[in-house]
Amino acid sequence: MIKSMFKGRTLLLLAICCLLGTSLGAPAAYADGEGASYNYSFWGNTVTSPAAYQATDLYNGSDLGAGAFKEPNDLHVAADNRIYVLDSGNNRIVILDERFKLDRVIDSFVRDGQPDTFANPQGLFVTDKNEVIVADTGNHRVVHLNSDFEWVKTIEAPESELLPANFQFQPVRVVMDKAQRTYVMATGVFDGFMEFNAEGAFTSFIGANRVYIDPVEYFWKQISTQAQRSQMVMFTPTEFTNLDIDGEGFLYATNGDQWGDNIKKLNAQGNDILRRTGYFSPQGDIRYSVDTGPSRLIDIDVGDSEIYSVLDSKRGRIFTYNGDGHFMYVFGGLGNLLGEFKTPTAIERIGDDFIVLDKALGEITVFRTTAYGRTLNEAVRSYYRGDEQKAYELYSETVNMNANLEFAYAGIGKALLRQGDYEEAMKHFKRSMDQGNYSKAFLLHRKEVLRQYFGGIMTVIVAAAAIWLGTMAYLKSARRKRGVSY
Amino acid sequence: MNKELVKFPFHLIVHPFNGYWDLKYDRGTKFNLMVSYAVLLLLAVTNILSAQYSGFLVNLYNPNEMNSLLEVVYVVVPVLFWCVANWSLTTLMDGEGKFVEIFTSTCYALIPLVVVNFPWIWLSNVISLQETSFYYFSNAVAVLWFLFLLFVGNMTVHQFSAGKTLGIMALTVVAMGFMAFIGLLFFSLVQQIIAFISVIYQELVMRS
Repeated sequence: MIKSMFKGRTLLLLAICCLLGTSLGAPAAYADGEGASYNYSFWGNTVTSPAAYQATDLYNGSDLGAGAFKEPNDLHVAADNRIYVLDSGNNRIVILDERFKLDRVIDSFVRDGQPDTFANPQGLFVTDKNEVIVADTGNHRVVHLNSDFEWVKTIEAPESELLPANFQFQPVRVVMDKAQRTYVMATGVFDGFMEFNAEGAFTSFIGANRVYIDPVEYFWKQISTQAQRSQMVMFTPTEFTNLDIDGEGFLYATNGDQWGDNIKKLNAQGNDILRRTGYFSPQGDIRYSVDTGPSRLIDIDVGDSEIYSVLDSKRGRIFTYNGDGHFMYVFGGLGNLLGEFKTPTAIERIGDDFIVLDKALGEITVFRTTAYGRTLNEAVRSYYRGDEQKAYELYSETVNMNANLEFAYAGIGKALLRQGDYEEAMKHFKRSMDQGNYSKAFLLHRKEVLRQYFGGIMTVIVAAAAIWLGTMAYLKSARRKRGVSY
Repeated sequence: MNKELVKFPFHLIVHPFNGYWDLKYDRGTKFNLMVSYAVLLLLAVTNILSAQYSGFLVNLYNPNEMNSLLEVVYVVVPVLFWCVANWSLTTLMDGEGKFVEIFTSTCYALIPLVVVNFPWIWLSNVISLQETSFYYFSNAVAVLWFLFLLFVGNMTVHQFSAGKTLGIMALTVVAMGFMAFIGLLFFSLVQQIIAFISVIYQELVMRS
């Protein structure tokens, strides 16, 4: 009796465990060990994806021994992986080595024998030769220092007929290309970036944004008088919000457009040449609620192999795209946990890792790749290099970790196509909804099949024709014999 | 009779003027209705198969949103709307067609959509991206053919002139819009009435 009761109890316990297990197990399986992220499917649905990056460290100014940061605005990682933080509130540049140890602090420089300082600088750029360019906003100038932080030149407010008489030069972001041309993003300038030559003379504007005209506004403007019109809001192009430059000298820029393309890749003529061949044009979140609206991108960072990342200040997320415009991964967010921010303001890559600067908190968050992120990055790189065999292996590995990553199948398909396995290639292209490549693989496959069965098919056709002709002839002669005619 | 069921529709679509004359004056209503229902069924089946089995290059479809029943509805409802709207207009405008004639003539006009599109379900699986223009061209031909048959059918059934038929067809489309609007209005009002009655019922139940 007791034994049977005991047995009953174990069974009951087991059942409870099983029930609990299923109810607990479901979200665990969904979340994955590395924490969950998301991606967008071809159909525009949000699909789960493993996290590609995870926050590992958090540094503030005091930890680094440089004193607390006060409203830092920008940071830049030089070619030797040293980190330059622009501590705007304290008018200084804090330089860290790649292990986040304080290297030095620059709060003044010598110009013509006179010591000089910054005033609320907003933007910072470090060239491959470790030259430092600072958008010294409060002093209305751009300061160019060499790698030993000695003054080289200053770009003052330019004089040009392109500019209005009361123009105030307020540079906020700045980059320099290999030919020492400086591109400056200044507040209140709607004509694009200001381009200065190596001597610091203003040459032209580059890459103005398009004006968006609200049809309703336009209608009211048309029917109002001149006096009324002058009171109305002017149609002006949106300002850029940030820029970066890649190894080939192309400018990558973000703007505050609500409509249209908010990420641009500008060539020397200022034309937008960003490839938008992904399932959606790169723009941050494509699914959002009406009241929060689309992403507002405030920083962009270009890595190698045309991979670029943008920072959405509205939701604190960092989106990464490959050169074809395929959405690779997203991480970050607003909140209080490690890996979340209050007012993210700048992102930079340091090797494969990311650092994100939080303006209000004065903190730097370090994100490191997960196994998934590493594999995906490497896969995209191999693919970009044209190393299709390597890309095939890495993409296959990626797909094993995240079956929802649709564009990876196209990478696998291309390698298979190269190998001559057309049928498998077709399957993979179909999975990544890539009609163009599917068609290519299909044509080759069709040719192969037709060639294989050509003998058989032709034999059947010829035999059928012969039999048909024979029967007709026989019937005709039979009819003639019976004397039936038509 | 049995052979005619297959032969006559094909005769009609290539000789529409004679065919529709035959349909109105020589063929029995039962015969026409049999063919009509068969055409509607075949069109629904064609659309369903096409959504599921057409080649990847001409048919990007989301299996999560595929609904066979809706495909049937997309065939039957527009046809019924068209017939009702057309009948309502033509009875006021001296049309000679009865409702059943309008219905059968419309269904006969749908035949090209089946005849052309059905083989393309399978053919579209063996074409490349460059060859898809043939697919789209055939589709366009099928639609134009359908419109032409619809026009001839309407003209013959009502004994209208060509210009008047075109006018009536345009008006029919407008009338279909009105019907859809009134239908939606009706549904929303009925919903509100039902909600109202159920609230009153709840009120009574709670009080007692």
